[in-house]
Amino acid sequence: MHHVLLDQWSQGSSALHNLDPRAKILALLAFLIVLATTAPNAFLTLAIDAAVLGAGILIAGLPSGSLLLRAMAVLPFSLTFGLISWLAGDRLRALGLVEKSYLSTVAVFLIVGTTPLPLLLNGLEALGIPRLLVLVAQFLYRYLFVISEQSQHLRLAASCRQGSGRRRRLGFRAAAGALAVLFARSYYRAEGIHRAMMARAFSGKFALLRRLQFGLADGVFTLAIAAFLILVRIQ
Amino acid sequence: MHIPDNFLSTPVWATLDAAAIPAVGFMVKRASRELEDTSIPLLGVMGAFVFAAQMINFPVGIGTSGHLVGGALLAFTLGAAPATIVMTAIIAIQAFVFQDGGVLALGANVFNMAVAGVLAGYLPFWMWGAGRRRPVIFLGAFLSVMVSGSLALGELLISGVAMPRPLVLVSMALFAMSALIEGAITISVFQAIEKLNPGLVQKPDAPNWRALFVFSGAALALGLVGFLLASSAPDGIQRLGIQLGLAAKTGFHAPFADYAAGHFDSAWLRRATAGLTGLLVVYAVCVAFAKMIGRRRSA
Repeated sequence: MHHVLLDQWSQGSSALHNLDPRAKILALLAFLIVLATTAPNAFLTLAIDAAVLGAGILIAGLPSGSLLLRAMAVLPFSLTFGLISWLAGDRLRALGLVEKSYLSTVAVFLIVGTTPLPLLLNGLEALGIPRLLVLVAQFLYRYLFVISEQSQHLRLAASCRQGSGRRRRLGFRAAAGALAVLFARSYYRAEGIHRAMMARAFSGKFALLRRLQFGLADGVFTLAIAAFLILVRIQ
Repeated sequence: MHIPDNFLSTPVWATLDAAAIPAVGFMVKRASRELEDTSIPLLGVMGAFVFAAQMINFPVGIGTSGHLVGGALLAFTLGAAPATIVMTAIIAIQAFVFQDGGVLALGANVFNMAVAGVLAGYLPFWMWGAGRRRPVIFLGAFLSVMVSGSLALGELLISGVAMPRPLVLVSMALFAMSALIEGAITISVFQAIEKLNPGLVQKPDAPNWRALFVFSGAALALGLVGFLLASSAPDGIQRLGIQLGLAAKTGFHAPFADYAAGHFDSAWLRRATAGLTGLLVVYAVCVAFAKMIGRRRSA
């Protein structure tokens, strides 16, 4: 599955993997903002931005083919809107929608592919996102897989009970019942999780094996990327 | 309904980011006052539930199927503020891990679905509470999807994405369809949960939380504006956008473009100033609102 693959990628140990998550988030924001304000026909600027991403993928040692292919998931949407704009005579916007949304997706992929999500969320928290929101996101990500699997089981069980025949899809009521059971089980699971957390003296914060440290290298990286992109943009 | 990056023009996404941050911050404050420790894993697991619920398809009509969006169901079972937080976490994870929706557009998506969608969905529940259950739940779920959809469409149009009128109408019809489906799904799931264990379904806390009412009303009104804008001629919107200084075709180039002193003309400067001022005003209003409410609550 998609997020399992990302998890594997993010376990690497390249220079990009080892940077502080905050440095990567800030660099990503700089990249996205610069990209968003670049004219769609500034091909040189866009090419240089793409080259920066390419260099990042190479340094991180991510499988570039797979990454570039997966980033195409955004294309159906942007191609549709691109086509609409093209037909409406706004060719520049059509071009921009397609090329810029693709580059943005690759950039997000590069950062998420080199940062384990829990670490990324910790970085966001350190940048001022409220603790409660970050904790909820942490739990969400941790249990996403568990609950998804449970929903597959429920769906399978429901369609087994339905019997074979021409109707292979779940009936409306059966689907609602399955969801209600999933809801109740999630609820009870959360209670169990909470008791387990209390038993282990949860302090209101996830402990990290490694402390976040924004070092000199991180600062230099962020500043260099941002300065380079801005310089390219205003040329 | 997840808007990717570079679909919205810079003033639009920047404004919505600026609006979403204090809104979510307010909800977090509100929720941490309401909730106990128990609820942190609950909120997270419920987020995972909504994710997983989207894998179960509901048959609607011939050959088509819908799935639960979840904002209204969460609001009815967890309360409005916690539901906003869960939806925000879902949208953020979708943007980062699944590349569904942009990072710069995160504010827009959060505002449409987690803030306005949840609040609009909670409004009927807040107003009529436990009485007339079924229509209230249906209406809430319908509104939550409809408001999010109209807002997203309105934002795209204000950003200058040119859509011919028939297409706009078709997308509005599609939103209405999925809103009806959401209503039906939410009702049947809600009733099934109630049958399983009535304790899981929160009794609507009819708080004299006037701020919520105001916010919900505002969310609904915004959705209506989006709807009306979208159903009027798109040209009209663009004209309106230009008048408001919002539809700067190229987007305003962010503060650092100052270095490119040779490039900007006065028109660009005007647009940029208008955009920045609008952004600041929205931000100030949101912060002031949150402060004011916070003070009244603590008094």
